Amino acid sequence: MEDERVFSDICGGRLALQCRSYSPYCREFCVSCPRLSLRSLTAVTCSVWLAAYGLFALCEVAPGEGTPRPGARGRDGGVSAGTAFCVDLRGGGGFQFGAQPGQPVTEQNPVLKCKKGWRCSSLYRPWVQATQGVSLQSLVTRLIFLQQKVIYYLCILLKDPLEPHNVSQVVPVFQSAKPRLDCLIHVYKSCQEVLAHQKATSTRP
Amino acid sequence: MAYRGGGGHAKPPSTPLSSVNPGSFSTCTTHSHNICMVSDFFYPNMGGVESHIYQLSQCLIQRGHKVIIVTHAYGDRKGIRYLTNGLKVYYLPLKVMYNQSTATTLFHSLPLLRYIFVRERVTIVHSHSSFSSMAHDALFHAKTMGLHTVFTDHSLFGFADVSSVLTNKLLTVSLCDTNHIICVSYTSKENTVLRAALNPEIVSVIPNAVDPTDFTPDPFRRHDSITIVVISRLVYRKGTDLLCGIIPELCQKYQNLNFIIGGEGPKRIILEEVRERYQLHDRVRLLGALEHKDVRDVLVQGHIFLNTSLTEAFCMAIVEAASCGLQVVSTKVGGIPEVLPESLIVLCEPSVKSLCEGLEKAIFQLKSGTLPTPENIHSVVKTFYTWRNVAQRTEKVYELVLKEDVLPMDKRLNRLISHCGSVTGHIFALLAVLNYMFLIFLRWITPDSIIDVAIDATGPRGAWTHHCPPSEKRDENKKVSKTR
Repeated sequence: MEDERVFSDICGGRLALQCRSYSPYCREFCVSCPRLSLRSLTAVTCSVWLAAYGLFALCEVAPGEGTPRPGARGRDGGVSAGTAFCVDLRGGGGFQFGAQPGQPVTEQNPVLKCKKGWRCSSLYRPWVQATQGVSLQSLVTRLIFLQQKVIYYLCILLKDPLEPHNVSQVVPVFQSAKPRLDCLIHVYKSCQEVLAHQKATSTRP
Repeated sequence: MAYRGGGGHAKPPSTPLSSVNPGSFSTCTTHSHNICMVSDFFYPNMGGVESHIYQLSQCLIQRGHKVIIVTHAYGDRKGIRYLTNGLKVYYLPLKVMYNQSTATTLFHSLPLLRYIFVRERVTIVHSHSSFSSMAHDALFHAKTMGLHTVFTDHSLFGFADVSSVLTNKLLTVSLCDTNHIICVSYTSKENTVLRAALNPEIVSVIPNAVDPTDFTPDPFRRHDSITIVVISRLVYRKGTDLLCGIIPELCQKYQNLNFIIGGEGPKRIILEEVRERYQLHDRVRLLGALEHKDVRDVLVQGHIFLNTSLTEAFCMAIVEAASCGLQVVSTKVGGIPEVLPESLIVLCEPSVKSLCEGLEKAIFQLKSGTLPTPENIHSVVKTFYTWRNVAQRTEKVYELVLKEDVLPMDKRLNRLISHCGSVTGHIFALLAVLNYMFLIFLRWITPDSIIDVAIDATGPRGAWTHHCPPSEKRDENKKVSKTR
């Protein structure tokens, strides 16, 4: 069973949460958000070219020089423009690691499989995926300061196999997508349902 | 309690603050508020302001209000923490400039404070201490955002030197458009009204309090010889220099007299010199810095408590000492004469001679057995100042404030220009306009609608608190009224 809902991130951007339920013990949560928007692309390009223009203007009126040497102005301008072009191209390429502008890229795919534990997958590019398998203790929400904001974070508490009652690590999820509280509550409740189901079946004789 | 202008009746200094009738604030409140306490001074820092904010917040939570505290980060303690009963504390990552007070540019804290005020749905911003720049920043931003503001002044300040003139000018700017101001004693009120050129009608007096269950007498732990206890920070303002003059004089006169001194500070070296010079190592014990939980255990070892402060808005130490059953000898400065009735305190001028006379009088009374027993003193003092009473009075101030309108921008600018002088007024009016434009910019970047509403830990929808139903609350109000 698959369920997709639309939420927003802390900046008001669109964010989709896909929830696939394979069995009562296994659910998959996938948060998708567009990595590149036209607004951010325009802002980055404008700032890079403004910086290049500023550099060019500074080179043009270098202190201690009366009149620029023949050809110096053109050479400085060319260097600035070339650098800006490279930075822009390189930055754009970096942004487009896995997708074309406007297309969603899956940032994280935390999959809950209760019999095997929690699997947290990070999809950096369509062909590169890192997966971490861990034992889940519980989920918590945390409050943190992020720049000039106060945001909620969903964290999973990891179980130490040697000491099952202790929490060995706290792993934040959906770090790059930064969904708002309503989305986190939805994930949290779904995970708690699975955990409760697992607990109920494990205690049953 | 609150001085409400009109009659202009000043309280006689000998009457304790606690016995004053609440006057116009007699009605019972049933509304709950979302209160944000702001100050640079909060736990883990220790002191009167910190204790006041914590205790007042706890009592307000018990009365069904939502309370959060905003302060700056202390070392590793940054982020958001929950204290007892779900009291949420925001330790903001701001740089400390001097004496635990943060550096201020008037604008840099707006984004974070605005985010907190919006997400917590704050209705009243209550700032504490005139030495806290974060408190003044919060007032400035809250007024820009159209929130109601209350300020509590905990200290007295001079008028003559350059630093006082500048500080008082800033206080004038900060308080001229604040809805209500609370002072901890009538002397403090007089001082604040004069410093900030305020209308006395918007200044109320609500004293500090102590938890009487924390400060109970224990006569069996008293030493056989007469013991004088001093607990204060060892700084100039607390009169440590006077103490250095008193110790040798009284130790020479009374062979069975000992001193126990708790506290730390730059003047400790002078005390050590005195102890060294007069060979009083076995009669003067310097305990160093004390934790709040250890204060009672030190107090109950003594017979007399000595306070040598040179200035004090409201001295909590003498109330704590009296609650432990000690006879109090204190300087007659600031709001101290208002704190305890004459039967429980010996007041002296801030001089070595006068304090020695006061101590000799207390020693004579002790030897002659004319002093009341520690239990009797405790039973009298415990009814004077309770945090529940302070919270109830503060709640009335909130009710009053919410009935008032927050000044719109044009009237605020007029107030600043007309009240703070032409130069300062125009400068701060310009800053207020810039702050407003910055706020509009922030609202455009991050609209209020996309800021998540915080999950309440306290208040009517609090996840942690189980406040009493209104009928029970009314019964409590009656009980508190009876104790006054």
